[in-house]
Amino acid sequence: MIISEELIIAVNREGDNSHMKYVNIIEEGKGEIFSKITPDDFRRHMLSKADRMNTDKRMDLREAIRLFVHSGDYLSIGGCSIVRLPMAFIHEVLRQGLRFSMAAGTRTFDIDLLLDNDRISALDVGYILGLEMLGIPQYTRKETVKRLSQGFLKICEWSNGTMAWRHKAAAMGIPFLPVRSLAGTDSFKHSAAMKVKCPFSGIDVILVPALYSDVAVIHVHRADKYGNCQIEGMLNEDVDKARSAKSLIITTEKIIDTDEIREDGSKTIIPQFYVDAVVEIPYGAYPTNMPGMYYCDVDHLEIYAKAAQDETGQNIKNYFIDYVFGTTDFNEYIEKCGGLERIKELENIEKMERRQ
Amino acid sequence: MACVASRYLEDGKVLFAGTGIPMLAASLAQKIHAPRLSLVYEAGGIAPDPSMLPLSVADSRTTFKAICCANMPEAFEMMQKGIVTYAFLGGAQIDRFGNLNSTMIGTDYHNPKVRLPGSGGANELGSLSWRTLIIMNHSRRRFVEKVDFITTPGYLDGPGARERAGLPPGSGPAFVFTELGIFDFDEDTKHMRLKSLLPGVSVDDVISETGFDLIIPDNIGGELKPSMEELQILRREVDPWRIVLRRGDKEVH
Repeated sequence: MIISEELIIAVNREGDNSHMKYVNIIEEGKGEIFSKITPDDFRRHMLSKADRMNTDKRMDLREAIRLFVHSGDYLSIGGCSIVRLPMAFIHEVLRQGLRFSMAAGTRTFDIDLLLDNDRISALDVGYILGLEMLGIPQYTRKETVKRLSQGFLKICEWSNGTMAWRHKAAAMGIPFLPVRSLAGTDSFKHSAAMKVKCPFSGIDVILVPALYSDVAVIHVHRADKYGNCQIEGMLNEDVDKARSAKSLIITTEKIIDTDEIREDGSKTIIPQFYVDAVVEIPYGAYPTNMPGMYYCDVDHLEIYAKAAQDETGQNIKNYFIDYVFGTTDFNEYIEKCGGLERIKELENIEKMERRQ
Repeated sequence: MACVASRYLEDGKVLFAGTGIPMLAASLAQKIHAPRLSLVYEAGGIAPDPSMLPLSVADSRTTFKAICCANMPEAFEMMQKGIVTYAFLGGAQIDRFGNLNSTMIGTDYHNPKVRLPGSGGANELGSLSWRTLIIMNHSRRRFVEKVDFITTPGYLDGPGARERAGLPPGSGPAFVFTELGIFDFDEDTKHMRLKSLLPGVSVDDVISETGFDLIIPDNIGGELKPSMEELQILRREVDPWRIVLRRGDKEVH
């Protein structure tokens, strides 16, 4: 047990200040905190962008990236695993050579693509280097260990829950949340969490620091020009990621009229106040699953997974030349993967479930 | 392994399912004997219609005709508040106390021999559910004296350790399912104990594949082999595309 500091909470008891209660930090993880944005930083930033909140935010992807995304940013990506990832955005930042610190709760394909190209300098890890049922990308795994050992990549260990709660704390505008997981493990030891005894209930709780991002990018089903978003299916961490990013880029399958938003405000998952840019990109989540619209392209994901088995990296380099660096934009990528015909097949697979 | 595990999932309970074989076993249970088993997926799918096996803990099949589409905090908070009876997960390494490793192989966190995916939701499943169920392949490489990294808590280092660490009282691993047998944990010592063998497996087989001292009780049960019905449903209805079934021992962790 490490008692490293004492936070002193003074409790006035009928004017007698001699009774002091302490909240001891019983134990703390060795991990580093990568996002340095504080609650007051965030408050000031949100005030500074308040004037833009009622403007037409429609723009193309390159413009959105030019205005709101910079190398060195702390980046959070929406969706989960192989579902509703903003793939057009991922491809474009790959083409532009940008590098980030990143939130990596529930990440698979997006993080792996960035790791393959050495575009990440620091990671808060919930889940990486796996493609769930599609296996492990061995090249990515090997490269990651190499960079870790050389000190070019820093990691801090978390879990999906603690990452989600870190985003939630930031979405609440507070500096941390007390939770009950991570305790007793090496995961805790390599995290930046702290264990304290709750001053109210007396139980031990794990404090996880709020995670404010410089940029978040989320792909949604429908959005209006101000950035009011509707999302179908699972929400993962998007509710909180959207509300805790200094800049929020929304890519959307379709831009709709504000009237349609106002017809049922309860469908608005992300209100416009958080949004900086709205980019219409039909099929912008391909080859991942867009719930209700198109299923993931397992064949294409397996092309990637297979290329990533070659530990020399030659096959994966060819994958990137074929599909990312050798294409000028996302439409060209989709064409290469079978175009609208393939999308139609994925739409049918998705809707097959609906008919059962 | 999936067939045998599925028999232990009780109808009407709430189960949190991790990626891979857990989802397969849960799906099978729903189709055979536990139609009111409610699955919670960490990305927010709550109690979907179990018509097709999801490829991912987040894909549209986890929200197909679901009770609701929630978000991750809500899913994990259900567990934190005690609503979830069972959490079902796999792991790369396990020790005699049911601690799991899915983070790294090696001795140096910053220079691991192998970097594994990390906890994912596993730490929450092992920390917060009432009973953790573990399903994994059985080999000396996996059943080790001491895991290289405790990603997910079992009984940590023995009786009372979970409570001392600050984990919710009364929680912890209940069963481990492998292709050799089913294991539980001795109430007093929290050491892993052989409960029953799968058909065609001997006690010696189990001991030779286990890298620590297992408790071998006098009375060991025997599991029935997968029935025709179970196999047919598994192959025709649960995983017709053989996404999980053809993987065999291929690594997910």
